[in-house]
Amino acid sequence: MKSLEDLERLKEETLQDIRLRTSSGSPRIVIGMGTCGIAAGARETMLAIIDELKVRRKFDVTITETGCIGLCAKEPIVEVHMPGQPKVLYGNVDPSRGRQIVVSHIVNHKPIDQWIINVEDNS
Amino acid sequence: MEFYRSHILVCSGTGCHASGSISLKQALESEIARVGLDKEVKVVETGCFGFCRFGPNMMVYPEGVFYCQVQEADVPELVEEHLVKGRVVERLLYREPETEAAIVDFEEIPFFSKQTRVVLENCGIINPESINEYIARDGYFGLAKALEMKPEEVIEVIKKSGLRGRGGAGFPTGLKWEFAAKAEGSPKYVVCNADEGDPGAFMDRSTIEGDPHKLLEGMIICGYAIGASQGYVYVRAEYPLAVERLHKAIEDARALGLLGKNILNSGFDFDIDIRLGAGAFVCGEETALLNSVMGGRGEPRPRPPFPANEGLWGKPTVINNVETFANVPVILRKGPEWLAGIGTEKSKGTKVFALAGNINNNGLAEVPMGTTIGEIVFDIGGGLPDGKKFKAVQTGGPSGGCIPVEYLNTPVDYESLAELGTIMGSGGFVVMDEDTCMVDLAKFFLEFVQSESCGKCAPCRIGTKRMLEILQRITRGEGREGDIELLVELGESIKQSALCGLGQSAPNPVLSTIKYFREEYEIHIKDKKCPASVCAALFDAPCQNTCPAHVDVPIYVDLIRQGRYDEAYEEILRENPFPVVCGRVCHHPCESRCRRAQLDEAVAIRELKRFASDYAVSRHGSRPRLAVKAPTGKKVAVVGAGPAGLTAAYYLALQGHAVTVFEALPVAGGMLAVGIPKYRLPKEALNHDIDVIKSLGVNIRTGVKVGEDISWERIREDYDAVFVAIGAHKDRAMGIPGEDLDGVVPGVIFLRDLNLGKPVDLTGKKVVVVGGGNVAMDAARSARRLGAEKVTVVYRRRREDMPAEPEEIKAASEEGIAIEPMVNPVAILGDGKVEKVRCVRMVSGEFDSSGRRRTYPVEGSEFDIECDVFIAAIGQNPESDVLKDTGLNINRDGTFAVDPRTMETGIPGVFAAGDCVTGPATVVEAIEGGKKAAAAINQYLGGSPDVVPRSKHIRKLTAPVIEEKMPRVVARCLSVEDRVNSFVEVELGYDAREAQREAQRCLRCDVKE
Repeated sequence: MKSLEDLERLKEETLQDIRLRTSSGSPRIVIGMGTCGIAAGARETMLAIIDELKVRRKFDVTITETGCIGLCAKEPIVEVHMPGQPKVLYGNVDPSRGRQIVVSHIVNHKPIDQWIINVEDNS
Repeated sequence: MEFYRSHILVCSGTGCHASGSISLKQALESEIARVGLDKEVKVVETGCFGFCRFGPNMMVYPEGVFYCQVQEADVPELVEEHLVKGRVVERLLYREPETEAAIVDFEEIPFFSKQTRVVLENCGIINPESINEYIARDGYFGLAKALEMKPEEVIEVIKKSGLRGRGGAGFPTGLKWEFAAKAEGSPKYVVCNADEGDPGAFMDRSTIEGDPHKLLEGMIICGYAIGASQGYVYVRAEYPLAVERLHKAIEDARALGLLGKNILNSGFDFDIDIRLGAGAFVCGEETALLNSVMGGRGEPRPRPPFPANEGLWGKPTVINNVETFANVPVILRKGPEWLAGIGTEKSKGTKVFALAGNINNNGLAEVPMGTTIGEIVFDIGGGLPDGKKFKAVQTGGPSGGCIPVEYLNTPVDYESLAELGTIMGSGGFVVMDEDTCMVDLAKFFLEFVQSESCGKCAPCRIGTKRMLEILQRITRGEGREGDIELLVELGESIKQSALCGLGQSAPNPVLSTIKYFREEYEIHIKDKKCPASVCAALFDAPCQNTCPAHVDVPIYVDLIRQGRYDEAYEEILRENPFPVVCGRVCHHPCESRCRRAQLDEAVAIRELKRFASDYAVSRHGSRPRLAVKAPTGKKVAVVGAGPAGLTAAYYLALQGHAVTVFEALPVAGGMLAVGIPKYRLPKEALNHDIDVIKSLGVNIRTGVKVGEDISWERIREDYDAVFVAIGAHKDRAMGIPGEDLDGVVPGVIFLRDLNLGKPVDLTGKKVVVVGGGNVAMDAARSARRLGAEKVTVVYRRRREDMPAEPEEIKAASEEGIAIEPMVNPVAILGDGKVEKVRCVRMVSGEFDSSGRRRTYPVEGSEFDIECDVFIAAIGQNPESDVLKDTGLNINRDGTFAVDPRTMETGIPGVFAAGDCVTGPATVVEAIEGGKKAAAAINQYLGGSPDVVPRSKHIRKLTAPVIEEKMPRVVARCLSVEDRVNSFVEVELGYDAREAQREAQRCLRCDVKE
């Protein structure tokens, strides 16, 4: 470390790594991982989403899992929550759709309407 | 770079290591790899969370789920359920003890939510072995900022923040640095005191293990400020993990150029080396420590000169504690006003405390200065385990003093603790419950300090030894009059003349326990007793020692085990004339001290007493078992035929005196007859015990009230001694509007009328009972049996604070009685007769002298409870007005003032004991009072104070002691349906087989082989 700038750079690099432990204002993806979800292939979808995020260098996204929400026929179900936006629920998300959601919704802020099954009502 | 969707932080402090976190982490890593999640889930070692009691601890991010007591065996389920499926594993969550509700989010656990983590801000969040993670959390940015300032400016910042040394003395840190900066001499040094010798203290250890770079950064900043280029960390060798982490941290810092030459291109050089301690407590003292660093023996030297002027090798040296240095980077980063905004006026910032002893949440907690002791013990510490009562807390380790329950509202800061006679110290916080002997505690700390004394100065070397000898004598039962004064004199002179802090503070535990618990010392010395049942030389078994009547529990339990029930009954009768009664209603303090509880559960001492008494009486009836001495010709008058009066009558009759008992009510027994309802104590049972007393020749004259039916003067003339035992039968009024309405009944009167046979029918009525004691429970459960449609008990504090027996409260709930805690009535409303009760909700405030929180009404929270009958049971006073012109010393609440050992009132020949002296208490305490009075009266009448016949039993084992776990035999009792409609006895007792099985569980603590 030869300067404050060097410190700053190392901080930024590592911050991505531990952001999971501290931040709360980042984009969140929740993937249904109940029995129906797993059976429908949610694991593969999740791995594809993670891979796409890595490729796009979007390291600040939080990914969590949840159980069955009751709409088993539409599994794998993926919820996308961009900060300040209502939560969006996507259905029948296979690995390929998962990747497209990452690129379009998370990176480019354009939700993909045809796959949406619900948008959170905040009124 | 890898995209991990989840981080699992496994606590890697020494505490959790000891409970298995190393193997836990390895198991976690291999299981995660096995199911193929190793590219998604990262397992990270972190520093101490502070929740050590519940370790190994684990935190799963991003959810922030906090798991406790995670074992290797839990790993497959954890990985499968949480990591694969995202389902929280409920059974590994922390459970709130009162509600049993599982808490998922660690910020909602009261232990954490009430803390302000500054020094510990990274512990539990970063990997302590990663300098990168430290930097990501703004590490070394404080240093960068400092290097842009002038050294004097850095000192100003520290001064402005108000930081005081956290090692114990609390000297202003900025000032110390300024002295060193201005002192002449080169090279200068920075030394960190990481010796942490106080037993039970581990704040510094956790800080170094969990966030070592914080310490290093603080030291480098200090070096820059004072102009030093070399630092030493003096760590005790007993902290191998801390030493290891510190080594790695230093190497990593050197590798990144944050230690060594030309740090961050500023031209400033600084390096740090480690020096290990060798196990001497005195090396925590600064001059002894410096001596040790220089290779000498740990011995202090006189100051001045202070280390800031002449320290290591005679050069200016700043020596500060780990926690002090750990605050420095944060102050530089956030600015001095930030720290000055936390804490009190003179004590800024936070303090890390190590919670130890009898406390639920053992561990580390960091709180702002000014947090009260009660908040730390109860809100953060979770209170004391096993429902035990708080007795005192020791702060500052062996150099500190104790703080009793009266001071729970004291804010923690340097000045207020000093005022109480203790010190902040390094942050040790040892909580003690009612089973702690304060004399033994003082001895323990003095033993420690005595063995750690370096020996250089006479006051410490010789003085502490002499003090210890006195304490050892006292705990052996060889205490002498004048010992306490001698300890105080010695202690105060040692404080003033010892060379260093160790000696100067060594007498503190002794002086402080004498200050607040002098009576306990006096009991050890004068009575040769240890009330807490700790000093082994002063008692046989804790159960017997705790029993106010000193009943020989192990002997009678063993007799039952052998099938010798009659003899068991006789043995009990020797010390307690009410075995049948006590076997049913005693609150059994003996059981709370039964050592068997450490193995499985306490022995059912009361139940066994009941069995033996019932058996003997049913077989042989009530007859005198003990020999009565020849008549002495002396006459004794006893006023009141309650347990205190009748006990005295019993023992005095055995001595051959002619005893007449005057009882105002139409029946004998006092509260036993007119207070306790039949379903707890049937009249036949009570009469068995009273008959034994009568058969000794005691004359009980009921329906005669002294002061009205017969004058006090007449009693004094006709009798050689008088014993006043009128109990406490006058209800305290609530003092709220509406108390004169029809349907309002004071608790004692309600029970008395019922017990005297007056017909009471509450069918269909709604009854409200106010109070939390046994009278309230008796009234509520009786009302239920009298046909009440609904019975509600309201109490102004929390349920746990109710003074009634827990068994009574539980039985009341089972019988359908509603208990509403934190509610207080403010008015009784109705037209001529009671229609409803207006109540307010209460909220908790500060602690009162009983260690419970006072409660205050919440404005605007009024609500009404429908009510036909209102019973107030909020306490009782003695009806001593009738004796107010007798010259007896009567207190404001109506109780009589007496000598606590002899029960003598101010008038020669007149004695008093029982509830009329103590206020409402328990049966067995009244019996104790009666015994003491009998001893004093016998002595007054020319006899000896030994009125209790000698035991004829020898203490020896008659069967092997059972040391395997064996659950307590539960006595049968009536089911709720069978009992709520009548006053038939609820508890059914043991049969012979059950009794013998239970009696086998006794560990015979009284046999000393």
